[in-house]
Amino acid sequence: MAGVVRRWLGRVGSYSAERQPRAWLLLLPALVCIGVFNVLPLVRVLVMAFQSGTLRHLRFAGWSNFVAVFADPSFVRALVNTGVFAVVTVPVGLVVSLMLAVAVDSGLRGSRVFEALLFVPYLTSVVAVGVVFRYLFNGDYGVVNYVLSLVGLGPFDFLNDPRLSMVTLCVFGVWLSLAFNIVILLSGLRAIDPMLYRVADLYGASAWERFSRITLPQLAPMITFLSIMDLINAFKVYTEVYVLFNGKPGVADSAVTAVFYVYDKFYVQGRYGQGMAAAVVLFMLILVFTLLQSLLVRRLSK
Amino acid sequence: MRRAGRVFAYGFVLLMTGMTVFPFLYMVSASLMSFQEATGVPPAMLPAHARWSNFGEALHAAPFARYAANTVIVSGLSTVGTLATTILAAFALVRLRFRFKRLLTGMMVALLMVPYEILVFTNYRTIAQLGLLDTYAALILPSLASVFYILYLCQYLTAIPDTYYKAAIVNGCGDLEYIWRIMIPMSRSALFTMALLLFISGWNSFLWPILVTNTTDMRLVGNGLSAFVTESGTAVQLQMAASTIIVLPILILYAVFHRRIIEGVHVNGIKR
Repeated sequence: MAGVVRRWLGRVGSYSAERQPRAWLLLLPALVCIGVFNVLPLVRVLVMAFQSGTLRHLRFAGWSNFVAVFADPSFVRALVNTGVFAVVTVPVGLVVSLMLAVAVDSGLRGSRVFEALLFVPYLTSVVAVGVVFRYLFNGDYGVVNYVLSLVGLGPFDFLNDPRLSMVTLCVFGVWLSLAFNIVILLSGLRAIDPMLYRVADLYGASAWERFSRITLPQLAPMITFLSIMDLINAFKVYTEVYVLFNGKPGVADSAVTAVFYVYDKFYVQGRYGQGMAAAVVLFMLILVFTLLQSLLVRRLSK
Repeated sequence: MRRAGRVFAYGFVLLMTGMTVFPFLYMVSASLMSFQEATGVPPAMLPAHARWSNFGEALHAAPFARYAANTVIVSGLSTVGTLATTILAAFALVRLRFRFKRLLTGMMVALLMVPYEILVFTNYRTIAQLGLLDTYAALILPSLASVFYILYLCQYLTAIPDTYYKAAIVNGCGDLEYIWRIMIPMSRSALFTMALLLFISGWNSFLWPILVTNTTDMRLVGNGLSAFVTESGTAVQLQMAASTIIVLPILILYAVFHRRIIEGVHVNGIKR
């Protein structure tokens, strides 16, 4: 080992046309950090998922953590809620942001200003925005209820009615997801060759034909990218829940999500093995869904 | 072209932009209201008189200045550290030839697939075992390198022709000198955008700080605000003042650098 290090050090600064092992020296700071905080924790998740006991006395426990976790109705609810959140927010967010991006790009005056404003939620703290949404969604004096009352609806207790917590969470999720989608879709729209549309006009194409025959296929790579990113993000939903329901997963655990469940098991209850088993299940689900989705999109785009 | 469609598009964009901006405007407005105004039915849109004292009260009720200072220190150091490790690593990956380079790059791409939220808990264990809980080191160490930004910068650097490096080497310039005097100036705009986005994501971090900090003194703005909301109960106007304090610095940064930030995201979709 010492010899290897000496050989690298000897080469630093000297140029050779062949291999340049000093590259490892330059990579070292990054690799140490990635090794300790990206690779090692992944290994530990996989190990701890099969262990039980206190942190000082962890012992091998086989699949028992997985059995315990799947037998826990709260975990099943967490998975269902996470799935519902993903299935609702990803398509709704994509369709709305696609419509919006096309509208912004349709030659409106000030489209750059609209783009800049629509991007704001991507940069602001989810916690701070969540605190504002808590206020807007308040059952007694929230603005949302006031607006709904103008059209004769409500009032709804968005934050304290367990039947509504997932609705509230999804609305917040869609609102948060639009910003990134729109900016990416706009960059895609602006990259489309305007000649395509001119030719389409020449042949008398309708607005719908222009959209479905030109815009949509040209945007396919962006939409694929976004649908995968949004899906992964939706599976990891946590901060939104924490803030919206003030540190709890909704009244009576009604909005518990997978990451929230892991947090609760690991950090609050100290059931490390079960927490990590749940994390492994979530990770596998994310992998499988990402894979399935990219296959599906590839099939559809053919 | 189709007048009705145009009007509809304009209306839709205005409506959605309004819904995007409204929470922020209302946050600022409510931060200046009295408690009665903030909780009135029907809701008041603007305060009768702006009560700037709400900000004083919020700052008095929780040490937001301390939280902000902590956050600036932590995200500032993480940003500088990440820039340094990323620049060195990306240079090595793009300009140098070495064994297992493809394998290493492949492994990094694979690591991108692993969600941070899965790793954060065992990272907490590592930090606890190192005895670093409740320190700045705990908050900074895990974010000193980023696989994502290494790959991001690699993509940018490959656009700079290799001849610059070759010429520099032939003229007796070392690697570090090349990085400092040629590569960094040439990729200034990418590095600047990267620094902005790194700082903003540090400012907005939440899950990691709640795991590794226990004392009030070590909180960052995110978990500081969420703790304040729990403690302050129904004092909504103070919660809005506190949220404004946290959102405003980022909005100012964005107002100044919005073109660069949006372009940085355009070039290479950046994950949250």
